Amino acid sequence: MAHKSDPKRPAEIYEPYEEQAGVPLPVIWIAIALAFWGVLMLYDTGDSVRVSLNDRAEDSEALANVTPDEGASLFEANCATCHQPDGEGLRDAVPPLAGSEVVAAGPGIIARILLRGIDGPLTVADATYDGHMPSFASALSDAEIARLASYVTTRWANGPDGAASSADDVTDLRGEVADLGSFAGGMELARLIPSLPPQPPMPAPSAAPRDDADVLQLVFAGRDEVWSCASCHGDLGQGDETTPRLAGLPAAYITKQLHDFREGTRVNESMHLVASGLTKGEMTALGTYFATLRVPSNAGAVLSGDLARGEELALQGDWSIGVPACFTCHGASGFGVAPGFPGLAAQHAPYTAAQLANWAGGERHNDPLGLMAEISGALSTQDRRAVADYLATRPPVPAVAATMTRMETDDDQ
Amino acid sequence: MTNDPRDRASDTPRDAQSGGGTRKAIYAAGGGLALIALATAAVQLDVVPRWLIGAGSSIEETAAATTPDDQFTPPARDAIPDSPFGDAVRRGEAIFTNTATNAGDHVGNGLSCSNCHLDGGRHPLSAPMWAAWVTYPKYRAKNDQINTMEDRVMGCFTYSMNAQYSPAGGPPPHGDDIYRDLESYFFWLASKAPTNVSLDGIGFGKVPKPEGGYDLARGADVFAANCAVCHGEDGQGQRDINGDYTFPPLWGPDSYNWGAGMSRIDTAAAFIKNNMPLSQPGSLTDQEAWDVAAYLDSHERPRDPRQTGTIEENRLANHDGDEILYGQVVNGVLLGQGTGPSPARAATMATPSAAEPQN
Ligand code: HEC
Ligand code: HEC
Ligand code: HEC
Repeated sequence: MAHKSDPKRPAEIYEPYEEQAGVPLPVIWIAIALAFWGVLMLYDTGDSVRVSLNDRAEDSEALANVTPDEGASLFEANCATCHQPDGEGLRDAVPPLAGSEVVAAGPGIIARILLRGIDGPLTVADATYDGHMPSFASALSDAEIARLASYVTTRWANGPDGAASSADDVTDLRGEVADLGSFAGGMELARLIPSLPPQPPMPAPSAAPRDDADVLQLVFAGRDEVWSCASCHGDLGQGDETTPRLAGLPAAYITKQLHDFREGTRVNESMHLVASGLTKGEMTALGTYFATLRVPSNAGAVLSGDLARGEELALQGDWSIGVPACFTCHGASGFGVAPGFPGLAAQHAPYTAAQLANWAGGERHNDPLGLMAEISGALSTQDRRAVADYLATRPPVPAVAATMTRMETDDDQ
Repeated sequence: MTNDPRDRASDTPRDAQSGGGTRKAIYAAGGGLALIALATAAVQLDVVPRWLIGAGSSIEETAAATTPDDQFTPPARDAIPDSPFGDAVRRGEAIFTNTATNAGDHVGNGLSCSNCHLDGGRHPLSAPMWAAWVTYPKYRAKNDQINTMEDRVMGCFTYSMNAQYSPAGGPPPHGDDIYRDLESYFFWLASKAPTNVSLDGIGFGKVPKPEGGYDLARGADVFAANCAVCHGEDGQGQRDINGDYTFPPLWGPDSYNWGAGMSRIDTAAAFIKNNMPLSQPGSLTDQEAWDVAAYLDSHERPRDPRQTGTIEENRLANHDGDEILYGQVVNGVLLGQGTGPSPARAATMATPSAAEPQN
């Protein structure tokens, strides 16, 4: 019979001696050894859990202890990239806080500026600037804004020391200024601060180009297989999770990405479908439309990344792994440099981390010179989460043409 | 196939025997597994001497791997002491990275020290300050005298920072606090470095001139393909939304002048080869580095401040034998005439007459 010579056969048959043997000895050895090992490991990890819990407790204690310096570290983290650590500003670009007539006006004014931002020409300490101070309304809490306002006044204004502003003041202010948009240059500030030196006039509002109906149609209603952009990217182009924020990205960058999605040089199924239905002209018009949207941030640090490490990568880089500071290319504060370098500030952390991972893995490869591929590849997964989280906490890009729209409403009043 | 009882009767003896073999195998494997589990536990708990598992040597290996050669490493940024000296170091660092604001009276273009000395003067082969510090004072042929670090930095202001078009019209005078602060920063960066030695990573490195020399037309192509995305098609750099240069201008009125080291093709080629494009050092060939260096140094820039007579006289006095296009005719135009200041610089200059290029 065939099965007689079948070597597997014995195992299938009931073995009489197994009855007496009970559980084989080696199985018992293994069980005992594993149990021993398990207990030891439990003890061991229990130890490190306790250590890390202690660490965390110490961390939060340390946090509580730094309160007096908190203004300084808030300033370092949010203002120093532009106004510089010593408050001297940047020649021809960012006004100084040291010696500024605006700062001398006290914490109430500074809190207003932090909530609203400033656009348009402004004369400070004998020099005239024409830049864009971002609004921190969606990036900082009332308490943080109050602390910063007090800190800046105490450090750089010669005014009375006790001129602090409280979180409650800021809460009230927030309601008051919610619909005002940014300050229209030194002219509007001078209305609140009579002691300001003469301010340059705001340029006459050039007739802001009306968004043409076709673009609004594409954004909000879509057309055939071109689904409305708003259905995924949000009504304001603010994005969410892994759908990117488009508001404030350079127009040419947006147009290039749409082109790349259509050609398949950047791979994403939904965006390929969408972009394939757009004409060249529509891509350009959509780029301009989103580039000029100024929208509060709805992003946050949701990846549990190490924010201090993220800040280090963004501001200093890590040259030991060949990574220069992100902001040397993406502009101070990560606001981008048109046309080729997108803003990263207030971008959603899951999206940013995913793009970095895509470059590292070769799925995204439409970057000039492979600049991002090289950099992403050098970053560890933790680094990518850290920098994505940090960037998500930054204030949103003060998109530029919004000035014009706001000035029109000012004139209407 | 069925379990026929008759088969079983005849099978059993042989099966029992082979079952015994299997049992021994199970015992051996079980014993082995138990030993492995115990050994793992022992290693995890650190009760095994390190030499037994070779941990000691692997630790040494990783330590060695993080510092590949004998590259000097300056102290970490957050290690600047809290003291009057530390304050000077911080001011020096601020001048170095934001020169136009913190030494603005003497900066006549759109550059900062850290545009060419990357990572705040820390990066090897972008003329790091820790390496420079330990080689001064020294003799320099450029001015035929012993130079202190202060003399050297004065030269940087004069040429690379184009002080002639600054509000003060010249470099900080000897003894200025700007030198005190910058030197404090350099000295601190060189903490624990040996002195009077040429440290690994000093200067910009050297890239031998290719056999066939260089070619400006090829250089233009290299520029368009590898540099323009950051420095702009026209080489004039790019600014952020507030008008601050994110990417520095490579020629024209806001760049370094004809007296700067970077206007020599061999120096520019070495910097480019070892540092550019940013984050991709070494990606250009020697030939490409020379071609593109020659291309950017074939454009007009602010005049050489040493020029008193004609361009030719100045070329013979200060540029003879250099790898430089100063005083040569390129595309039908004599190079070295100077650009004059940019409108922003002209507006802040004390003596606007100095703005006129004098040939
Ligand atoms: C992205 C760069 C940027 C950042 C970050 C920034 N500012 Fe500004 N700030 C500006 C610019 C540019 C202006 C001038 C705006 C104009 O010209 O209309 C300005 C103006 C000001 C002014 C009024 C003018 C003056 O110099 O007194 C104050 C006050 C001020 N900023 C405070 C702050 C504080 C506090 C922070 C941190 C929370 C901060 N800024 C962060 C760019 C920035
Ligand atoms: C079905 C959802 C969906 C719709 C509809 C949609 N998008 Fe997208 N879009 C995405 C997603 C998801 C991504 C991210 C792709 C990736 O991960 O690479 C994206 C990416 C983009 C990007 C790249 C942004 C960046 O930061 O690189 C642009 C630009 C863009 N979309 C524009 C548009 C425009 C314009 C429309 C309307 C015409 C539109 N999208 C409609 C889902 C959508
Ligand atoms: C050498 C210049 C350079 C540096 C440094 C750099 N980037 Fe970029 N980055 C680029 C360019 C160019 C693009 C645009 C790619 C394209 O056109 O598709 C880009 C795009 C990106 C994007 C895609 C944005 C979007 O909306 O899809 C992310 C995210 C990004 N960079 C993150 C970073 C981070 C984080 C760092 C620092 C660790 C960094 N970059 C450093 C050049 C740079």
